[in-house]
Amino acid sequence: MNSSEISYKKPLLETPFHKRTSENCYSNNWYRWAGYKVVNEYSSTELEYTAVRNTAGVFDITPMHKYEIKGEDAKQFINKLITKDISNIQSNQIAYGIWCNEDGMVIDDGTIFCFNENHFRIFCAERNLNWFSDTATGFKVTIEDISTSIAALAFQGPLSCKILNLLKVNNIENLKPFHFDNYNIENHNVTISRTGFSGDLGYEIWCDPSQAIDVWDSLFKFNRDYKVLAAGMSALEMVRIEAGFIQPNVDFMSAEQALRPNRMRNPYELGLGWLVNLEKKYFTGKQALIRHKENGIEKKLVGLDVEGDKPAVGSVLYDNSKKNKAKEIGIVTAAMWSPVLKSNIAIGFVNKEHYKLGSNVYAEIYHPEELDYRKIWAECKVVKRQFFNNPRRNAVPAFK
Amino acid sequence: MKKFDIIIIGGGHNGLVAASYLSKKNKKVLVIEKNENVGGLAEYADNINCISPIITKELSINATNTNNTNHIISLEDHQNHTVLEDNNGKLSFIKTNADEHDQKNFLSIINNYKIFSKTLGSFMFKKPPRVKSGNKADILQLISMGWKVRKLGKKNMRELLRVIGLNIADDLEDNLSNDNLMGLLSHEAVLGTNLGPRSPGSILTLLYKQAINNNVFNLKNIEVGNYINLLEESCNKNSVEIIKSTEVKKILTQNNSVTGVQLNNGEIFESTCVISNTDPKTTYLNLLGAEILDTDFIRRTKNYRNKGNVAKLELVFENDININGVDNNMYGKFIYAPNIQYIEHAFNANKYNKYSENPCLEFYVNKNILSANVYYVPHLANSNHQENEIIKKCISILSKFIPDMKISKEKLITPNAIEAKYNVAGGHWHHGDLEIDQLLMMRPFYGSAQYSTPINGLYLCSAGTHPGGGLTGINGINAAKKVIGDLK
Repeated sequence: MNSSEISYKKPLLETPFHKRTSENCYSNNWYRWAGYKVVNEYSSTELEYTAVRNTAGVFDITPMHKYEIKGEDAKQFINKLITKDISNIQSNQIAYGIWCNEDGMVIDDGTIFCFNENHFRIFCAERNLNWFSDTATGFKVTIEDISTSIAALAFQGPLSCKILNLLKVNNIENLKPFHFDNYNIENHNVTISRTGFSGDLGYEIWCDPSQAIDVWDSLFKFNRDYKVLAAGMSALEMVRIEAGFIQPNVDFMSAEQALRPNRMRNPYELGLGWLVNLEKKYFTGKQALIRHKENGIEKKLVGLDVEGDKPAVGSVLYDNSKKNKAKEIGIVTAAMWSPVLKSNIAIGFVNKEHYKLGSNVYAEIYHPEELDYRKIWAECKVVKRQFFNNPRRNAVPAFK
Repeated sequence: MKKFDIIIIGGGHNGLVAASYLSKKNKKVLVIEKNENVGGLAEYADNINCISPIITKELSINATNTNNTNHIISLEDHQNHTVLEDNNGKLSFIKTNADEHDQKNFLSIINNYKIFSKTLGSFMFKKPPRVKSGNKADILQLISMGWKVRKLGKKNMRELLRVIGLNIADDLEDNLSNDNLMGLLSHEAVLGTNLGPRSPGSILTLLYKQAINNNVFNLKNIEVGNYINLLEESCNKNSVEIIKSTEVKKILTQNNSVTGVQLNNGEIFESTCVISNTDPKTTYLNLLGAEILDTDFIRRTKNYRNKGNVAKLELVFENDININGVDNNMYGKFIYAPNIQYIEHAFNANKYNKYSENPCLEFYVNKNILSANVYYVPHLANSNHQENEIIKKCISILSKFIPDMKISKEKLITPNAIEAKYNVAGGHWHHGDLEIDQLLMMRPFYGSAQYSTPINGLYLCSAGTHPGGGLTGINGINAAKKVIGDLK
């Protein structure tokens, strides 16, 4: 057997943008995502981040999993799958939803595009075909993995609408958040949705892989004045923490993948209770979620404003300012120094005594300094997880 | 719209048992049966070994032995058949080509298995405990199960734990050298399961069946028709309403609770308690509907192994049947499974959903009628059996032992036919394989054990629940007791 046929020796797939992304990737720093390689850092994460926050950044998000849901029961299927009620969804609208297992533990989240009553498309970070297919038992619906047939870019930042306008994308400023429509970028038909991971104004552009390179080039066309940058996964991680978005298998273990039952998390623990509609007639996990809601939660994923300027990466959280009296009460799942907010932020789990906004907890930060750790006992304040939420994000017409 | 305290879907023997028990407790019970006669798959069995004592105790039903079969004949190609006699559980050789050492070992293996199956049987007839419920009764029962195993003594306990996951071929080959004897016991272990003699767990299925039937060879003493009539009478006496030739279309629910059932003709009966005597897959996927069940639960339902692989062959001869090399007065249960390798080869085809080129047979002879269980004839999900081919194969095997065969009528009932007639998905005798992960508190699967279901007021009582198949009626009694307990 040819060694490239052995699955673990198979080279990672290249996205339709690979020609461009590899040209720009000076650091040759790649990230493995769902069998593809995407750029982790082009030249400087800070620079890429700065572009996203000040002009616009372009992320290659082609490896996202995409599932086409078609059939007369498509809507009922989605309503069984996710915890919120989408009975009233309109064509061209997008729903953000999570799906849980029978124990009410979160498996994954995703955006659900409604083309019409009988046609939906789900975008999510993890593989879910198996789960969707089993959920579809008894419904008249077909589920197809169309991940490889669509190329995708996230175009995020305050100037994203302006650039699209300059590209003569008609009426793009009036596209409402969580809506999508068909547009034309320099004679290429694309679908654009006003969604994204940055907590700021931004779009996601979906196109045929054959047009990928042209669409990519168009976005950089006005770079003489507006310095749009290609941004890698490290920069994406920074903006998503600032926006307070959580990621399966980073901030919580997907219930389909966790080996230890006590590592699974329910929506209330993740602060996603607002996505659960217990009035809905039926969805997977409803009975368990009714119990979870009654019983209350033991821990919750919260935002933390951390003292000092050293990121509390992987820190354990404690309840007392005195280290020798402190009891463990939680853990940090993601942390960073936020350049735009000028503060030291983190996302982490704390127990039920400490999840109220304004509570004080303490992080033990191991800050690496030239082959040694400086141990810092830093005070943290529990705050809303959405650290960065610019009004531009939801303004209609969009800022241009 | 009629209202009942309890509606039972399916008038199989477990349904009748449950109905009779519940009506004795002054419940207004309705039984809905699809076919013209009650009894369901029981009629397929013709005869059973005995009526389980628990049924006699709870429902005061007892039938007398009508046709005492106490010979077991293992056929062999060179007409060196082995004939065993069963005298109230005591086995002796009447005729065999096995040497004395093998004969002694054979009886001692059976004796050992008998001890083990008694231990299993002692907790078989109760409601299986839930492992993590924290309920006192469950914990006590778990402890008692452990204690019963421990009570076997050090040597026997070690032996039980050694063989419980083992395949039967290994254990037999360790102790015996006679092919025919090994084939005979392997046959008892694998008949009606999806296992070959070399499949792990085939000893467990033998022990399990032995505990259910109270006998390793499951001899036929009591006519099933008789037993079912007694059950129906007992139901009628307690004024259970039985509707026949009527099929249930849907179990109706609201807010995760049962509200009644809808018949095929659209009629609706109301009840807050429904007991389904159909197999778990049919109950959940067809009657209840997958749309209202959690995805994980549907996964387990779909993964439940219920592929039937035994067909029934009925041959009517022009003259009375004579078997070469066996005296008329020794007729009883005939088995053609001459050696382990033969059965294993027959099983190979089954893995690929094909019927065996050289099938194994178990048959009874009554004057000019021969009725046989043929395996492996797997249930085919997407195609039909070539019945003539299968019949031809069986006849060619039988012709080795029956001279001058003149057959006037032949009929084959395949697992597909069982599925169609009795609404048993997969056409499996026991509504699902009796294997270690589908037994006790794991039967039929997690989330549906102890006769309950994820839907309030819906219960199961079919062979798909603990303690599985066989005409014990224990499933029905246990389910009825669970219902009474929950209604309190």
